[in-house]
Amino acid sequence: MSQVFGEIRRAPARIIVSVFALALAIGAIGVFAIPTVAASSLRDAAHRDQLAQVVMSTTDTGDVDIPALLTPIENVELAEIQVLTHVAVGNGDTPELSPPIQVVGVEIGQQQIDIVHADKGRLPERADEVLVSDGVADIGATIAAVGHGDTTTELTVVGVGGTSAWSGEDVLFTTLDTAAGMAGLEGANRVVVVVTHETNQADLSATAEATADLFSDEGIALTLLPEIVPNGEHPIETDIEEVSTLIGLLGIVAGIVAIVLLGSTTNTLITERTREAAVMRMLGARRRKLRRRLRRLAVGIAVAAAVIGVPLGILISNVIARMVLQEFVGITPGLAVSLPVVVGSVAFAVVGARLVASRAARRVTNVPLASALRDRDGSPFGRRFGERLAAGIPIGSLLNRTSIRNVVHRRSRSLAIVGQVTIAVASLMIVTSFATTINDFNVSELEAWNWQSKTTVAGEGLDIDAELADTDPRSEAGIDVIGELGEWEIEVYGLPADTLMINRTLDQGVWIEQPNDAVVSRGFAERLDISVGDDIEVLLASGPAIYQVTGLHPDPLRSVFVGVETLSTELGASGRRNVIYSLDNETSVELAGLTAVVHYDAVSEDETARRAIMLIFGAIGFVVVAVTGLAIASGLAVNVYERRHEFAALEAIGGRRRDIYRVVSAELAPLAMLGIGLGLAFGYIGSWAIVDSFEAGDAVEINLAFATGAIPAVVAVVVLGSLAIAGLMVRRVTSQPVAEMLRTAA
Amino acid sequence: MEFTWPISPSGSAYRPLVQATDLTRRWGKGTASHLGVDNVELSIGQGELAAIVGPSGSGKSTLGSLIAGLDQPTAGSLVVAGTRIDQLSNDRLARWRGSNVGIVLQNFHLLPTLTAAENIELALKLSESRVSRRERRNRSGEALASVGLSDKAKRLPTQLSGGEQQRVAVARAMVTMPRLIVADEPTGSLDQESGHIVFDLLAGAVANGTTVLLITHDHELAGQADRVIRMLDGRIGDPSAGDIPGQQSSDVLGHRDEPNQSADELVSPGRHR
Ligand SMILES: Nc1ncnc2c1ncn2[C@@H]1O[C@H](COP(=O)(O)OP(=O)(O)OP(=O)(O)O)[C@@H](O)[C@H]1O
Ligand SMILES: [Mg+2]
Repeated sequence: MSQVFGEIRRAPARIIVSVFALALAIGAIGVFAIPTVAASSLRDAAHRDQLAQVVMSTTDTGDVDIPALLTPIENVELAEIQVLTHVAVGNGDTPELSPPIQVVGVEIGQQQIDIVHADKGRLPERADEVLVSDGVADIGATIAAVGHGDTTTELTVVGVGGTSAWSGEDVLFTTLDTAAGMAGLEGANRVVVVVTHETNQADLSATAEATADLFSDEGIALTLLPEIVPNGEHPIETDIEEVSTLIGLLGIVAGIVAIVLLGSTTNTLITERTREAAVMRMLGARRRKLRRRLRRLAVGIAVAAAVIGVPLGILISNVIARMVLQEFVGITPGLAVSLPVVVGSVAFAVVGARLVASRAARRVTNVPLASALRDRDGSPFGRRFGERLAAGIPIGSLLNRTSIRNVVHRRSRSLAIVGQVTIAVASLMIVTSFATTINDFNVSELEAWNWQSKTTVAGEGLDIDAELADTDPRSEAGIDVIGELGEWEIEVYGLPADTLMINRTLDQGVWIEQPNDAVVSRGFAERLDISVGDDIEVLLASGPAIYQVTGLHPDPLRSVFVGVETLSTELGASGRRNVIYSLDNETSVELAGLTAVVHYDAVSEDETARRAIMLIFGAIGFVVVAVTGLAIASGLAVNVYERRHEFAALEAIGGRRRDIYRVVSAELAPLAMLGIGLGLAFGYIGSWAIVDSFEAGDAVEINLAFATGAIPAVVAVVVLGSLAIAGLMVRRVTSQPVAEMLRTAA
Repeated sequence: MEFTWPISPSGSAYRPLVQATDLTRRWGKGTASHLGVDNVELSIGQGELAAIVGPSGSGKSTLGSLIAGLDQPTAGSLVVAGTRIDQLSNDRLARWRGSNVGIVLQNFHLLPTLTAAENIELALKLSESRVSRRERRNRSGEALASVGLSDKAKRLPTQLSGGEQQRVAVARAMVTMPRLIVADEPTGSLDQESGHIVFDLLAGAVANGTTVLLITHDHELAGQADRVIRMLDGRIGDPSAGDIPGQQSSDVLGHRDEPNQSADELVSPGRHR
């Protein structure tokens, strides 16, 4: 360590920049920890709130004693009932029928599953008290909730909080009875189960099936497919897994930067000492000892970088994980540390530095003593064939020649700069392409649809009478439910055969005609190897249904379109629907109960989700660009520092700062250009690979929209950034008197 | 083609090329500060070959750097070749150096990535004389020939011996036809024969009217100068004292080391050859 301090005293700026660049690179490896950090925060929350492993949405449970009914089932430890409904809220006498908000009724105070807790205030005790999720209302406020049959309930907010089962959503938590009253239920409509031991997917499915059987004996039907959360996960863990995996991928980029940086920093540090080592050899130092000394120095620098880098990495991973969790699920996680990543990055830095140092130290101590003593530079220009070749080409101005020859001379450093620029450009392109791709995807998602608005009635069931829509020629009643096909969660749309709401032009086959016809999204069908004429089994809340595929639709998502009447019959509610599509912004169909209207533009914009993703990727892009920027700065600083005598000589014979700047930037320019070219190529390949992995992981079709529009800006950032760095470095060396530089040359 | 120095030998009238008044170079501030050059008054005439001698650490290099415009004084004024160089900005000073001084240093300081010929061409290019590339190449060739290295034009510095590198450095200093050449121990790392060659080249430049300021430890070389300036502790020997403190112990005085003569030189510079 004292050696490191000695080093810092010797060339403060340069060593500090290297240490910091290395530290930041090590820190950026912390990005790897984000998936773990996020998952562990979520699992902590799941454990704390005792989240259910099986959730069933049902029709009214009436007076059936659900816990008593279910506990005999093998593997069921606890079962509780809940009520989920929607109300419109307003204040005072004039409830404004805003979009419905969820009301969750639970047995407050006696809960053992999905435990609701108050972060501020207290839990509701009386029927007219309510606890709200953060941001919905303040403690003490009064909420007028309009529920089933237009009955208004006045509720006083007594606390703010919730349970992570509902994290990120706006919810009013009330007593079971209050919620049941608002929903017009006798019993409940949601059953949550905690199992005794078997928590894998198959066993949980078996438990859910057994539960559904008992329900059906009691006349209770499922309104949604059972929700299953295996292996102690958090219900939303899978939702953010993709985002965090993607972020983890960027950790690889950071890792590559770190490797390049570690290699070049360590190498320079030791090569610089060729002469010093030669003097010591001359004085009788043994090679082995010298090598050990040099290795120790390099490892010392790496350790110093790790000491700063590890806390930095923990900070980076936690900040980004927190952004992810807050933006996507609305929970604020505690500090989490991924031990493997910490140990891995420290080991990487130390072992890496040692390996590179050993090689460099061997090389340095093997230079013939005579030439090592004679030359200021460890490997003077002209030793290698390539250098002599470059020296023989009298092309370009004299200053440009020195630039080109220096690029040839310091090959590894030149390559490092190319690599770093490549990484910076590639990351920037990936981040921006990701943004444009999401944007395009949001548009293409809706491209086939013609509706301007869709109106739903609060509630999980098919609550709309199909005939209501007959009054409005510009509206259609349809069904939109979740199903399963080949292990994938899919969107099942029930539409009239002559629907106007979706473009019926298909990629292949014909639109639905017969009762059991189905049209499937083309990309999804291809992924599942489904062709026109095949039979498919779609799992609905009511059970499996068989359809014959008649056509493939250009829709990019996982969708199955079937006849609306067939579907309603399948779901056990013939003649009922759950959505009114309209070609206008507002349907003229009169719907009883609470409605929620979604407009086409609102869906296509999807601003918040995009902002969240861009924020996170922007943050990561910033980290990567900062790391590479520092890496380039440190490489350049070493380069300029090493050649300060050369620049002093240039100044002595009349060269101005401008000339030196020209030499440095002429060296940087071709490297930056090459880096930009490679960066664009890798950026394209990388974006494509990420999009491809998303397509494979989600069975959806995403078209890569490479952000060509961003290229000028990215190029400008890289070019101006490197010129600025070069300017700064040159300013530093030229600010000292020439005499001083020449004096220290010996 | 014969290489000729365009500056004609000066006449007998003394015209100063270097005029230093109260010249001081100090490092650091307050009590921690120390002086490299202390209140120096000095005048060097055009076409003169002046040698600076003195013990190690006496400030020779510091004074040489100031005169060559490689460093800036902390006090005093310095006029060289008609320009007040103590007040120039860095860039102007660089430009001034390019067209007015040639510099030769102990460690040669050739650009390692340029060949011998290219190193010389670069000096020409930076000296602002608007010469064509072709002309530059010719003159660089002539300068190399004048130091006897025509056959090594395409060698890189690492492929040249120390003496050869120094000859290239001298050629580089002379090719711009500067009015002043400052040479700080140009023969310091050379053997005697190479040292003589380099000295003769510098003397040749004087013969063509260039002023040469030679800093050296070599008694013999200093003895061949028109004038010897002695330094001690950052000062030039005080002529009125008649003697320079510590002079006896100095090992650099050589055969012209008579107090009267050196004092005389300090007040009335002139040609002795
Ligand atoms: N950049 C500097 N910072 C601080 N002190 C300096 C600096 N340069 C020179 N000195 C000091 O100024 C004094 C004169 O130095 P200088 O190099 O001029 O001596 P010199 O006469 O050329 O010696 P030598 O014959 O050994 O080359 C010395 O004491 C030296 O330590
Ligand atoms: Mg000296």
